[in-house]
Amino acid sequence: MPGQALPPPCTFLNVGQAFTGTQNVSAGQKDEAWKVNVRLQGCDIQQGYLCGSMEALNVPSAETPVVTFWEGEIVDNKNNTFFTGQWEATREKDFEHWEKFPSFAFLKEEVKKDGGRSLDLANYPFMFMRWKEKFFVNVGADCGLTIAGFYYVCFSRSNGSVNGYYFDPNSRFSSQL
Amino acid sequence: MPASAAWARPEELVESLSSLDNTARLKALRDVKNQIIGNKTKKLSYIKLGAVPRVVEILASDTEVPLLVQSAAAVGSFACGIEAGVRAVLDSGVLPHLLKMLSNGDQKVVEACARSLKMIFQSTLAPKSDMFQGHRMELIIELLNSENENVAEVAASVLARCCETVDHQQALADAGGMQSLLRLLNASVKTREAALDALGALTKGNKQLCAVVMCMDQGRSLAMIMKLVKDKSPRTRLLACACLANIGKASPSSFQHEWEMRTSMLRVLVKLFDEPGPVGEEAPGVVADLVASNEELQKVALDMHAVEKLGEFLRKAALPSKQLTGVLSALAELCSRFQESRRQLLDMQVQARIIAALEHDCASVRAAACSCIRSLSRSVRNLRTSLTDERLVEPLLKLLNDSSADIQALAVSTVSNIVLDFAPHKAVVFRCGGVSQLIQLSQSMDPILRVNAVWALKNLMYMSDKSLKETVMSELTFSSLVDLIFDSEEKVREQAMALVRNLVYGDKDSIQLAIVQDAVLLHAVEKQLHVSTESEICIQGLYAVSNVAAGSEIHKEAVMNILIPETPMGVNGNTSLLMRYLQDMSNPQLRVGALWCVINLTFPGCPGLAGRISRLRNAGVEAQLHTMAEDPCLDVKDRAKTALEQFAAGEIPSR
Repeated sequence: MPGQALPPPCTFLNVGQAFTGTQNVSAGQKDEAWKVNVRLQGCDIQQGYLCGSMEALNVPSAETPVVTFWEGEIVDNKNNTFFTGQWEATREKDFEHWEKFPSFAFLKEEVKKDGGRSLDLANYPFMFMRWKEKFFVNVGADCGLTIAGFYYVCFSRSNGSVNGYYFDPNSRFSSQL
Repeated sequence: MPASAAWARPEELVESLSSLDNTARLKALRDVKNQIIGNKTKKLSYIKLGAVPRVVEILASDTEVPLLVQSAAAVGSFACGIEAGVRAVLDSGVLPHLLKMLSNGDQKVVEACARSLKMIFQSTLAPKSDMFQGHRMELIIELLNSENENVAEVAASVLARCCETVDHQQALADAGGMQSLLRLLNASVKTREAALDALGALTKGNKQLCAVVMCMDQGRSLAMIMKLVKDKSPRTRLLACACLANIGKASPSSFQHEWEMRTSMLRVLVKLFDEPGPVGEEAPGVVADLVASNEELQKVALDMHAVEKLGEFLRKAALPSKQLTGVLSALAELCSRFQESRRQLLDMQVQARIIAALEHDCASVRAAACSCIRSLSRSVRNLRTSLTDERLVEPLLKLLNDSSADIQALAVSTVSNIVLDFAPHKAVVFRCGGVSQLIQLSQSMDPILRVNAVWALKNLMYMSDKSLKETVMSELTFSSLVDLIFDSEEKVREQAMALVRNLVYGDKDSIQLAIVQDAVLLHAVEKQLHVSTESEICIQGLYAVSNVAAGSEIHKEAVMNILIPETPMGVNGNTSLLMRYLQDMSNPQLRVGALWCVINLTFPGCPGLAGRISRLRNAGVEAQLHTMAEDPCLDVKDRAKTALEQFAAGEIPSR
């Protein structure tokens, strides 16, 4: 995909930025919500890469806050496209999750047509990303949480807000960040 | 006694070397020479018996050709493959005699002396600078033009060994060495290789001489070297690549079909890794030169499995220093940018070998190991996973005091990477006294050390807690930090401003550090924002101020006073720092930094908000924000909109 412009810098994506929010998990009858802190520790717009840590507080099954390290891909049509192509995510699953973001509605037809290759994502007020948790930082893998899946993320350039939907191929749970 | 009948006792032989009878001397010389060839024990025992000064004496005072040839050959044999032998012949003052004999009328004498010189110059003990005394260099260069190709070869290989500094390189070129060497590229394989080797030594790190080679004979010489990259002989291929890597490093677009040429050189070199002996040992170092700061080429090298092949070397038993330096330098370059390269290397589990090399006796190995760790530590992921070995901290800190300033600078910049907030090494660095070392280095006379040390302290301050910040400031002192903000070096000023930015970020206690001691830090930043013309310095300054503006009412007031000062005539928006940076069209990042100051000063829900908004409005800030809402830079536009929203929301309670 040559010739694609990279997203311009955004101060909300500077290393060290912190985001706070909740994670809502619904599994059948039971709904849970816990507080989540995200910290950005690395960002390389050239390579469409970013990484950081995610801290889940008041998780019912865990005694201490659970910290994970994640790495992300920025959908920039240069390094990464809307189609995940890995982590067992099919194109259908990609659409299913991207469509949860209202801001994706304007792009949907183009993405359906040709994967969104001709879209000028660099100047769109939202940035789409995938965040994949790689390992637990402070607890073992038996802490009762899973990192098998990944997040579809939508980031607002104008106010720095972050929304994410979790996708786990082995689970029917839905989870919103 | 058949065995001893052939040779006399060693003591007697040594005696006979000084016999007054020419035939006896010649026989003794021959016997000694024949005994020591390829036999280290014999060489050592004859050195002990004092044979060397007697052999040299023959070379110095005899005139008969057979005696001269035999004594020169014996000298060469003593010097071959054993350091004690090189030392013994040099101590006997052989060098001037060998050089003098190079102009002897008899070709056999000249050739024997040339060969001995070559032996001496294969050793690290060879007196390299001595060769630049008097007319010795001219003499050697004259020999390059000798009709006897063996002599020319020896001259070239001596030049290759003794050319170590820029002054040496220049002296050689001034004496006309370059032309003669390039002419030898047409000679036989051995001579050609010696000439290429010398050309490599002449062009290494020397832009000017690289340019000379490029232009020589309308580029014909360069074309010839390029052709030799595909030669039959592996050593020719290696040396041609080494020359071209030097030239390519000196000037980025130096030859035709540059990209194809570089990739084919890379392919040739990676294949040469498997060659036995010196060629395989030297190839990694040439790769390091070739791919230096060339990202695309580094990617190609990755695709050629260069990282895995180099990593394999580290898994083997001890490598010679030169090879180890080359392997580590090449890996440092290949891992400088690409995470995939770093991952491949770390997956090979060679960390312990690299860490051990930090303490190697040889300085170039230590430097290469340090660069390698620096490249690997450029990844947050690696710092959290495969580079967590605490054993790397102590040797690294030791290198902060290395006798070489280059290694010190490398070590400081590596320490910068491992003192970041999420790195597990941060606490170890602190425990081992690394922070005090960094503070001392920030006062160094060497500007590069100062930049790197302040850089490391800046990283250390990033997200640090109150007690660490206070400890560092009590040792560094506020006045030293102010000195660094006004350092003579631009890069030091920039890092010092960034250090303040990280220092005053976070909780109220951290922000308070900006205004303690009569607000000495805040005023220093203010002054720099007034006088500096370097945008990088000002960007750091604006963010430092913006961090203070995120604090309490007192902090916000202090910021107001420097950004929009009130004079007896009221607020003059046009001359204020804030308006100046909001209107600066030279760099959008300056406008973004200034906007963050406004955003933090007008943050909703603070007691003095209404007063600040009216003061900012009177200074023309709101009008300026409206203009900026149409800024060509997206980041500026969005931040301006946020600030305007806060202006609008801040009005409601006062209505």
